[in-house]
Amino acid sequence: MTGRRYDLVHRTTYVYADVVTDSYGRTTMTPRDVPGQTCIDTVVEISPAPADTAAHVDYFGNRTTYFGVTTPHTTLVVTARSTIEVTRPTPSAESLPRVGWQEVARRVAAGDVDRLDPDLADLREAVLPSAHVTLVDEVREWAAPTFAEDKPLADVLVELAHRIRTELAYRSGSTTVHTTQAQLLAQKAGVCQDFAHLMIAALRLHGLPTRYSSGYIETRPAPGREKLRGADASHAWVSAWIPGAGWIEVDPTNDQLVNDQYVLLGWGRDYDDVPPLRGVIFTEGSGSQLKVAVDLAPAGSPRFA
Amino acid sequence: MTDLLSSPRPAGDVLEHAADWSWLPDPADVPSAPTLAHARDEAERLLADHGVTYGADRPDGDHPWHLDPLPVTIDEPEWARLDAALVQRAELLDAILKDAYGPRRLLTDRLLPPTVVLGHRGFERAVDGLRLPGGRELVLTATDIVRDGSGAWCAVADRTQAPSGIGYAMEDRRVVAQVLSGIYRQASIQRLGPFFRSLRLALRAVAPEGSEEHPRIVLLTSGPSSETAFDQAYLASMLGLPLVEGTDLLVREGRVWMRGVEGLEPVDVILRRVDAEWCDPLDLRQGSRIGVPGLVRAVRAGTVSVVNPLGSSVLENPALLTYLPRLARVVLDQDLALASAPTWWCGEERSLKHVVSRLEELVILPTVHGTEVGSILGWTLSRRERERLAARISAEPWLWVGQEPVGPAGPTVDGTPVGVGSDLPSSEGIGPADLGPRAAVLRTYAVAHDGSYTVMAGGLARVAEGHVVSSALGAAAKDVWVLSSQAETTLEPWVPSDESAAGEAGQPRRPATGISPRTAENLYWMGRYAERAEDTSRSLRVVIDRWDDFHRLPASAGGHALQVLLEPLGDSPSLRDLVLDRHSVGTVARSIRMLGSSAAAVRDQLSTDTFGPLARIERALRDERSKTRGRTQADSLDLDTSHSNAATAGLRPALDRVLEGLLAIAGIASEGLVRDVGWHFLDAGRRIERAQNLIVSLSALVQRRAADVDALVLESVLLSHESAITYRRRHQAAPTVADVLELLLHDRTNPRSLAFQLDRLREALTVIPLAGGSPDQRDHLLADVVDLLDELDAATFAAAVTDDGRRTRLAEALESMLWRLRSTADEIERVHFVKVAPSRSLEDPWDARAGAA
Repeated sequence: MTGRRYDLVHRTTYVYADVVTDSYGRTTMTPRDVPGQTCIDTVVEISPAPADTAAHVDYFGNRTTYFGVTTPHTTLVVTARSTIEVTRPTPSAESLPRVGWQEVARRVAAGDVDRLDPDLADLREAVLPSAHVTLVDEVREWAAPTFAEDKPLADVLVELAHRIRTELAYRSGSTTVHTTQAQLLAQKAGVCQDFAHLMIAALRLHGLPTRYSSGYIETRPAPGREKLRGADASHAWVSAWIPGAGWIEVDPTNDQLVNDQYVLLGWGRDYDDVPPLRGVIFTEGSGSQLKVAVDLAPAGSPRFA
Repeated sequence: MTDLLSSPRPAGDVLEHAADWSWLPDPADVPSAPTLAHARDEAERLLADHGVTYGADRPDGDHPWHLDPLPVTIDEPEWARLDAALVQRAELLDAILKDAYGPRRLLTDRLLPPTVVLGHRGFERAVDGLRLPGGRELVLTATDIVRDGSGAWCAVADRTQAPSGIGYAMEDRRVVAQVLSGIYRQASIQRLGPFFRSLRLALRAVAPEGSEEHPRIVLLTSGPSSETAFDQAYLASMLGLPLVEGTDLLVREGRVWMRGVEGLEPVDVILRRVDAEWCDPLDLRQGSRIGVPGLVRAVRAGTVSVVNPLGSSVLENPALLTYLPRLARVVLDQDLALASAPTWWCGEERSLKHVVSRLEELVILPTVHGTEVGSILGWTLSRRERERLAARISAEPWLWVGQEPVGPAGPTVDGTPVGVGSDLPSSEGIGPADLGPRAAVLRTYAVAHDGSYTVMAGGLARVAEGHVVSSALGAAAKDVWVLSSQAETTLEPWVPSDESAAGEAGQPRRPATGISPRTAENLYWMGRYAERAEDTSRSLRVVIDRWDDFHRLPASAGGHALQVLLEPLGDSPSLRDLVLDRHSVGTVARSIRMLGSSAAAVRDQLSTDTFGPLARIERALRDERSKTRGRTQADSLDLDTSHSNAATAGLRPALDRVLEGLLAIAGIASEGLVRDVGWHFLDAGRRIERAQNLIVSLSALVQRRAADVDALVLESVLLSHESAITYRRRHQAAPTVADVLELLLHDRTNPRSLAFQLDRLREALTVIPLAGGSPDQRDHLLADVVDLLDELDAATFAAAVTDDGRRTRLAEALESMLWRLRSTADEIERVHFVKVAPSRSLEDPWDARAGAA
């Protein structure tokens, strides 16, 4: 299959009010190789130049890079550049197995899984609450109408994505890293991370293994292709397990299954396992200005940065 | 006999509450009741003198460590069985830990339900797959055991994160060996020393490959405000390890370094007393201020070994107790030798039902130790509370276990007292006279050594009034004597022994290397506060004497001199407050309190002898303070009142006791400490403080007064500075300003003179190494003081009196010197105690307004 080739630039810039003497950071900005996606070329550039860097593959199999900057600085720029070949076919919900959601939950609880299925430990881990995913009554009530008796899990996924797309407003800056699902449902507006966390919570509440996926969607779609929500920054979606089909990637922000417009960075239990960048700085000052810019464009397009 | 932890068991079911001493070779050695009562008082005094506390930095002061000196005794055959069972348990836990962070073969419903591991907060994904060198993951482990109703040992909890109490166990032994020395010497008791030796070797054995022959090992403390600060510091000094806080360490070039006053020193092994999640704000819990960013990166690089490894607390999950028997059979091909308290993990549906239906009979525990929820005693709950608890458990069942009560008398152990009573009736011991059953727990320790585990021969026993044994709730500790059929000749290593004494071949020890700027700063301030307390005490002692003599005679020369001495103390000062108030700046009590905090923060650097005098000083002040209560009315000093000496009663003897203690501390510093960098910081602090205080009190000489008044003022100044006798011997006449200035400013042979302080200060500063900061300003200021002093000719300055009777030149010179000395002190802080800028998390990209998706 001929794929689409993308150039990816993800730049995060911090401008500090005071001198920062030391800056330690970790990035998860390097796309991992999965069926349907190959990372051809990748580099993480950090300015000022770090005295120490180390890359490794984390617990979830994601590619992550540590850096330590020991030059005093007032601006920190982290730029990830990658070239990715995406051959992911456009999936269709109709072709997914019609197994009921209760049967899936039963199999996970009973440990009734096949040799070809994911490791039971991984499935059990994916039904537990996590730092950003709380199993609260507000979510249970919101999700209840979708979890009808014997409804196929595939339909549950499609319906949840559709309900999130239609019931909640997409509003940049409306939430922070501390926003809970209960708050999101109360304010009825959020961003892609919130939508992913809400859908994950709804599924885990019903004993259904679900992961959080971090990545991007194409920024400048080819003529005739719609520009998607969340294209100008990191994107996030959901990956749910359907026996016989494996982990199925669903994007509730855009109400669709993940196709070749997406580049996957990696996955975890929630945002906390795969933030694109986290860090610790040493400074007497407080306050900083933060800018994030993302461009995912067909390879060979004019570069934006 | 009542001591149900001890081996000798009551015959039949008659419980006589008296200690069993049948094991003593000579019945004549059996201690009498008065002996035991005396031992208990002695133990209390010794613990206070050694500064042993549990919980620190509380508004009401530190809590003393409680120790019932009557030991728990366990006979040799029983201990041998227990030892083997604990070794087996440690090996099993080690295997589980390796598997959880490795192949995960055990994580199946048939063996260990995966959620027990993956749903536990102690499971640190950031360190998955990392291994220590040397083949063991679990290096140090503690197991809390109790006796069940049949007298058999039963484990109730494993402590694998960073087991506490080893230092307390050692201290308990030290104290009991002293207060019951007669029995202790008669008995053959297994020593604790071999365990410490194994611990030292274990820490070396996990040093990264390629580290030097003598790896640099540090103890990472959670700080002086931690509950077990004493335990941590004492263990560090027993093992001879630098006690470091997170901010003393940093990661550069992929490895861990310790900040020293001389620069960075590599660190190979970290014995941590900080919970894993707080150890690295980058890769573990964000926002932790007590961790080291990048630590996980260094561990991953294999350049540093952390003991116990990060993530080891996953083994503390009490749910594990349920599965140990079958894991032992699969992993070790053995039956589990040490039973656990019957425990049900609510993550399994049948267990959940069992627990929820029997809440009133069980102890309910969260799977994560140390959360705000402690042990919940089901039978103490009301029906409503039980319903709420059941709902809470059912919502997240994998976070809960139910455990049958063992040890303490629970409702299921009808009539059969289990646990332990103190052997001492209440008038002499701890607890009520009826000596009813008391909860008792024995914490045992095992350390990986030589392919197996070494178990401490003894441990830390604790008894409590209620069902929950917790030092925070005032449980009393007991020493544990494991009887031995062989006479032991090895002595306990009360002091950090060097390794050759512990049996290893004499290897060249690396010279004691640098201390951290934090330690240096605490030593410096220890010197300053000790001196401040001393100077204040001496001047107040003189003021009090004058007050007692002259406050009724305000018009006399003495009355005038008293006014002069009182003037710097503020308007109508309370002498009692100046001595006893712990909170106002400049009082004796506050300086002592600050001295105590500085000393506690560098406990590992100090001889334990330091804490005895400190405790006695605190006691003297406390005793006097308690007398003061209720009679604050007649407290303020008013020269016109004809009150008796109520305002000063008792202060003079209290100050004498304070000064005795301070002299002892000064003596230990001068005769008991090696002249290393740390000592020079301590001395520099003392010198700069004494120099400043001297100049301040000399300002009393600026104003010329009537000759008889001045004579008393001069004598008072001499007394305050410990120079009156010298003066009298030399001059045999009433003091003159010129001669007093000569003796207190210029006389280099007088250890109280300014010249002497400046010499010593300069000497200290030449020895103290520099780490970056330029000392130019510091040295310049100090050189100015020396010049000013040289120019200050005592006779000329004393004679230069203006029309209004002021010695203006003297005033100016004193002021110039004081100002420069204060600036010198500021410079010392700037140059030597470089503060690390505070750390914080990077703003999360999610919160970037511009482009969150």
